[in-house]
Amino acid sequence: MNRNSGALAIALLSPAILLFVALTIYPLIRVFALSLFATDYGFEDATYVGLENYSDLLAHRFFRTAAWNTLVFAILATVSEVGIGLILALMVNGKLPGSRFVVPALLMPYVLSTMVVTAIWRAWFHYDFGYLNNLLRSVDLPAVEWLFDPDIAMLSLVLVDTWQTAPLTFLIILAGLQSVPGEIYEAADVDGAGPRHVFFGITLPLLMPYLFLAALLRSVDAFKIFDKVFALTGGGPGQATETLSMYVYRLGFKFYDVGAASAAAIIMVAISGLLALIYAFKLAGNKS
Amino acid sequence: MIQKRRDTVRIALAYLTTAIFLMPILWMISTSLRPPIDYVSNSISLIPSQVTLEHYRELIRGDLLGKALNSAIVAAGTTILALGAAFPAAYALVRIRFPAKLDLVFLMFVLLVKLTPPISLAIPLYQVLRTLGLLDALLGLIIVYQVYALPFAIWMLLGFVRDVPVEYEEAALVDGASLMRRLRSIVLPVMTPGLIATSVFLVILSWNEFAYALLFIQSPDNFTLPTFIATLITEDETFWGKLSAVGLMASLPILLMVGFVQKGLTRGFGGGIK
Repeated sequence: MNRNSGALAIALLSPAILLFVALTIYPLIRVFALSLFATDYGFEDATYVGLENYSDLLAHRFFRTAAWNTLVFAILATVSEVGIGLILALMVNGKLPGSRFVVPALLMPYVLSTMVVTAIWRAWFHYDFGYLNNLLRSVDLPAVEWLFDPDIAMLSLVLVDTWQTAPLTFLIILAGLQSVPGEIYEAADVDGAGPRHVFFGITLPLLMPYLFLAALLRSVDAFKIFDKVFALTGGGPGQATETLSMYVYRLGFKFYDVGAASAAAIIMVAISGLLALIYAFKLAGNKS
Repeated sequence: MIQKRRDTVRIALAYLTTAIFLMPILWMISTSLRPPIDYVSNSISLIPSQVTLEHYRELIRGDLLGKALNSAIVAAGTTILALGAAFPAAYALVRIRFPAKLDLVFLMFVLLVKLTPPISLAIPLYQVLRTLGLLDALLGLIIVYQVYALPFAIWMLLGFVRDVPVEYEEAALVDGASLMRRLRSIVLPVMTPGLIATSVFLVILSWNEFAYALLFIQSPDNFTLPTFIATLITEDETFWGKLSAVGLMASLPILLMVGFVQKGLTRGFGGGIK
């Protein structure tokens, strides 16, 4: 249908293309250009410095710490979110009285706004009156400096992120579990396969595309993390939870070092481009 | 027998985990109803010793409703603009044959935008908004939110357009129905559930967005709910009751919407795999 319809295609796509040009293509070119200059917001007295911003960044301890923290956060968050999502899905899949209420209840944290989530957890993490430390004290365990101990602050962020988004991985993995035809299990049952066998031999391999999708979605999002860090730790204590997004924000909007912030932003775009490629190959692979 | 016992354990664990997952939300509800004196304690009870509505009253006397209205305007504007641009695009990408796989190139680009960290576009977007005179304006937010909303909407609508049987449209075409006519009387009606599910996601996304709202809105009058909440978090964290009440009130519209279209949402999540 509509074989010779170039004009029609352009007409239908033009609103989207217009928005993309104004909001992403032009800004991306602009960020790249800015990354080659030493400049603040004026741009009038900008000096061309070539790739100096990049080499400065890569040599700078704070940037490397932010990159390292981002990687650590992304790995910890992805692993714990996919792991907990899988456990939740396995528990809920199958006969579960009241599952009509359990599934929506489990989804609630995901629907809450991140600012609401951080508000709750700021209170839970409070050293003196926070709910978590109250729980610990009630069973005679020592209280924890959830957000102010440099060794723990990152784990606290992971905990909050996991609480909020494990419901999403749960939903994806549950969809995967429910797409496994029941006959396969019946056949395995007839063959006398044990539950461990069934899980590792049948369920897990069939779930792989779903686990992969969940992991990819979560790692991409974890890589961008900004708002939780901003509102829970502000990147602290010290540099302990400073991520790349926080770093770009600070450089660009607090110190007005627009050139360096742009270079860091371009590095982030490059990394997400790489993730996009993996994603695309995976999607293409699923189709064939 | 063993199978049955295993099932009982699994079900019990499922309930327990759900309860643990819900505790922070129960805590929020309970704290929003507690008098301030109550939460400076070491109690782990989630039941308030005394119930008060003072936090809610205080918020409504303040400007909570104004912030909620800002959020609603931004959410509605973002959703309408994104659907208006994404629906024709998705329709074209599914129904029209593109030369040289240009459609795939376009989709790859959409994907790249979807994965790009929003903060990395913030500096030039700041300049774009300043040039347009839309810094510190809700309309400015509606426009920059397309960075998130448009790729998402295109990607999600693709699947729903694919589900509209092409035969219906071909039959209408033989009868001489114009494109507008076909869209209005065939494609849109069949896609209604998909459009609703997509809208719900777009509303949630813009209702909850924080980074751009923080960077591009300066005057408190124009704050959306997340930026308003952020000011409460950083100023003084002992406003727990007020904070919980805001959190709950900001979440209710979204929770209601999600409950309303739950089935469509699950489908939407599954759509990414197909």
